[in-house]
Amino acid sequence: MKIKINGKEVEVSGERPLIEELKALGIETPSMCYAEGAEHQASCMVCMVKNQASGQMIPSCSTYPVEGMDIDSESEDVQSLRRLSLELLLSDHRADCEAPCTVVCPHHLDVAQLILYYDRGQMAEAHALLASTFDVAALPCEDCKAGCEKACRRGTVDSAVAIRDIVREVAAYKPNQQGSYVSNARTGKDVFTSRLGRYTDAEKEWLKEVYSQQSRCLHCACEGRGKCKLREYATQAGIKTPRYGVSSSLPVKENVHVVAGLHFEPAKCIRCGLCVYNTNDGFTFQNRGFNMQVVIPEESKAHVSEQIAKLCPTGALYVYKVRSNK
Amino acid sequence: MAETQIPDNKVCGHCTSPEEAIKAMRLRTDAIIDRIGTTREKIIPLLQALQEEFNYLPSDALARVYERTEIDRAQMISVASFYAQFRMVPYGKHVIKVCIGTACHVKGANIVYDAFKRELGMGDDTITTADQQYSIEKVACLGCCALAPVVQIGNKIFGHVQPGRVADVLAEFEEYCAQQASQAKELDETKSQGEVRLGMENCCQASGTAEVRDAVVKASGELGINITVKPISCVGACNQVPLIDIATPDGRIVRYPNVKPEEVKEILLHHFRPASRLRRLRNAILNQIDTYHTDQTWDNILYTPEKERTQAINTFFNGQHRISTEGYGNMNPLDIDEYIKLGGFEALKKALVSMKPAEVIDEVLKSGIRGRGGGGFPSGRKWGLVAAQSADKKYVICNGDEGDPGAFMDRILLESYPLRVIEGMIIAAYAVGANEGVFYIRAEYPQAVIRVRKALDLCREKGLVGDNVLGTSFSINIRIFEGAGAFVCGEETALIASIEGKRGFPHIRPPYPAQSGLFGKPTLINNVETLSQISYIVSHGADEYRKVGTEGSAGTKVFALAGKVNHGGLIEVPMGTTLRQIVEEIGGGVENGETLKAVQTGGPSGGCIPASLCDAEVDFDALNKMGAIMGSGGLVVLSDKNCMVDVARYFLNFTSGESCGKCTFCRVGARRMLDILDRLCTGKGSMEDIDRLEELANSVKRGALCGLGKTAPNPVLSTLRYFREEYEEHVQGICRTGSCKDMVKLVVNDNCVGCTKCSRSCPADAIEYKPYEQHSIDTDRCTLCGLCIDECDYDAIVRMPLKEVKL
Repeated sequence: MKIKINGKEVEVSGERPLIEELKALGIETPSMCYAEGAEHQASCMVCMVKNQASGQMIPSCSTYPVEGMDIDSESEDVQSLRRLSLELLLSDHRADCEAPCTVVCPHHLDVAQLILYYDRGQMAEAHALLASTFDVAALPCEDCKAGCEKACRRGTVDSAVAIRDIVREVAAYKPNQQGSYVSNARTGKDVFTSRLGRYTDAEKEWLKEVYSQQSRCLHCACEGRGKCKLREYATQAGIKTPRYGVSSSLPVKENVHVVAGLHFEPAKCIRCGLCVYNTNDGFTFQNRGFNMQVVIPEESKAHVSEQIAKLCPTGALYVYKVRSNK
Repeated sequence: MAETQIPDNKVCGHCTSPEEAIKAMRLRTDAIIDRIGTTREKIIPLLQALQEEFNYLPSDALARVYERTEIDRAQMISVASFYAQFRMVPYGKHVIKVCIGTACHVKGANIVYDAFKRELGMGDDTITTADQQYSIEKVACLGCCALAPVVQIGNKIFGHVQPGRVADVLAEFEEYCAQQASQAKELDETKSQGEVRLGMENCCQASGTAEVRDAVVKASGELGINITVKPISCVGACNQVPLIDIATPDGRIVRYPNVKPEEVKEILLHHFRPASRLRRLRNAILNQIDTYHTDQTWDNILYTPEKERTQAINTFFNGQHRISTEGYGNMNPLDIDEYIKLGGFEALKKALVSMKPAEVIDEVLKSGIRGRGGGGFPSGRKWGLVAAQSADKKYVICNGDEGDPGAFMDRILLESYPLRVIEGMIIAAYAVGANEGVFYIRAEYPQAVIRVRKALDLCREKGLVGDNVLGTSFSINIRIFEGAGAFVCGEETALIASIEGKRGFPHIRPPYPAQSGLFGKPTLINNVETLSQISYIVSHGADEYRKVGTEGSAGTKVFALAGKVNHGGLIEVPMGTTLRQIVEEIGGGVENGETLKAVQTGGPSGGCIPASLCDAEVDFDALNKMGAIMGSGGLVVLSDKNCMVDVARYFLNFTSGESCGKCTFCRVGARRMLDILDRLCTGKGSMEDIDRLEELANSVKRGALCGLGKTAPNPVLSTLRYFREEYEEHVQGICRTGSCKDMVKLVVNDNCVGCTKCSRSCPADAIEYKPYEQHSIDTDRCTLCGLCIDECDYDAIVRMPLKEVKL
């Protein structure tokens, strides 16, 4: 059958959804809840296109071509609706992409990653990360106003992490061998960065209890930000600050260990349902409406595998492997 | 299976050990599983039965369900947490359901809710009393809108519950519970001298018809009169109940509105002569004594001239046209012989015997009837789509999940005319080639479920449902599925998901249910009211049907008229009647002499039509043009005392709570709109908020997945369109009607005589006790509960805006 896509007439089979037809034409359509070959149901509404024949906005991931369709995927009308759906998702997303300490560092040190290595005892990696950013012998931190400590979220709970003390300790460390490090931080102005709102008093008490390791760092940076579509699309759409204040019923910083290296952070979940539809007696929805959450019953955890993390479009589901520390 | 021993004592107080208690619970659970089944799609009936048995869903019972059925934990959490009906914690013995439907809301339901909590000594976070006697909850709509505010305790409904009456209502309920034991005895019906007819719908009972019936039974026994007490279909005049009709043997019918139990004896004596002479003499003497010794009889109902007595009712009935509600007020809903005598099942006979399925569809198509559920899709075309599918099995579903707050048409139709709806369904099934029917009825309508179940039994006995209907080769099975409390299940794809034992998630169309519906089979879903008009179309013909209504919308429409109107109730009018006719003529105008401001149609999916546009003729297209929709047909009248921002906020609060949560625009978008409206109603909004609200509303309307989401912004958009200045006033901190709590204060005016009644009633000690002096209210302490307003006999306490209104 023939349909029109962005003014051009196209021959389509009708057996694959519009999003795939667009892809075949080289048009990448953003989508969170769709993964080729996986069970899915339209929910995120980020992949909207307009059928000019009917004037309706339709999700391209779940709509199949029908004779006479006139699809528009580019106009401002379509883009603005997509942008709004992203803004709405971000308004119910209580998480930091990057740790505030990393974002504010004038010397572009990935402070969050450094403290993460430090907390895991991976001193060689921490040292290598530090050394790659600036001269370890002449630390610029000594003359710095320490914006990192002022920005530190722990400061809103009780008192900020003594970041500079940790940096000094890492700088003084004499590694036996060259460490390798990874830094996923993207702090440029051209990248969208989600920011967590305020903690409630109850959350503060809870955080004090849970994050009682020596550094007291809350590890604000998102583990799954490397694969996060939400951040990628928000960046593409040019969103700087979402216009709708972050308020959510989601438990902030809650981290559920599922199985093996698989972790789940509900506060980052956009409830697309991919993990629900693609596990059997595994992840499931609880409640409805704005309070709907994804949960996994204790007894069902054994029914899922680490593979499911690949389907998650955000950092809500990720595999976290502690590298052997030799 | 049947031999399993079930402990009689439901409260397992006699179990000696916890192990024994669990064992007993397992036995009871097993019996339920055996009765209902073990497949995944049985989850909702199973949970309903478990909750009925245990009053909540105990974890031990659920553990047994996992062991014995296909249902797993993921499905259980998913389903049990989706539907409002299910609860995981034990409730008190009696549940108080405070209706917060539209009509109740505009009459102050939230204040009533607070009053109950205060009366029962419940804290902010508790919903059950310490002695486990009462639990309280808010429910979307009990469907008794004409009696607002309405409260249901146990299975008894109370109408016109003012905050000050809460203690009386509770006392009345306790008394009712005590009386339950001693049931009224039935009358000897052998030599009936006539009939006394009473409506026994949910709403009639709420206004005390049950008490009047008991009084009739008691009085006729005492007086020695042999009469038949006949329960009848809804009269529709909910504002005039309890209403009784006396049918004397000579065929006369005399109607008495607003009857009190104590007046019954007098009315009966007026019409019927006691059977024995001795009785007559005794009664005459006793009545003489009564007349001299009490002054009750002076303003007695009998001395009011008939014309005056029934004037309100007569204007109420003028202008109405009966198709769905034909036989109103004189038909026993469950008397199948009477229904047949009045022409019932003639249409079915005609269709089955002398028409081909295609001819039936053609007739329906020609009639121009459009789906009464809200969308207004031509029913004939829908039928044609299903008929065109070839499949080994097809289904017909009657959508009775009427969840709109402010609507109760479907409930009345199911309670009063179950046979007509069933007839419509059988004809539909014959036409589209289906042989299985499902009545989807919401759980909040227990009376409707009972009536339809009984009506189906009667039809089976008569060979109208089952194999070889009326001796033809056509067979049909019909069952009932009870909804579990989710507004979104009125959407057809969500309704299907619900019957299949899933969360009520709508899915994207196509495929339409006509192609792939229930269990993947072609399915016809029609609203209750649509089905109730089918028999008329088939028996009278499409041309006759088309004579009623307008060009684009044929036939009649049943409306639930409620809100600030003098005579609310259930009405059926031809399409094309104007809103003003409905409000002014049928409804008898706005109550308390207030001015008509707007009419809200279509519930949470509809809009507010301002008084200035109320002369427009009502049909599907005209309403759409005005930014409202027909919806299922709730009409809530709003007066100048109602705040439009508050109304918009009320509906958004409803839809965001009922959103299934699947798509972003509805789940988050509706919530963000509500956030903005909350800010506006508390005086914290800004002008940008209004613009942002408008943008958001337009986007949600375009972007949401299903009908619920797409129409959720309508109340906001229509009020913004017609009442934008009120939004702007709210930004300045002014609510001109005094409805928004944070912008209002209670003030004592000069009418005050210093009687101290208000001071004594105030639960917050905000009024100082100063006898014979004009009282004053401490605004800081006042919780605006309004008890003092009810208490005051001098109309001396009024709501005033906190700031000056500049109009």
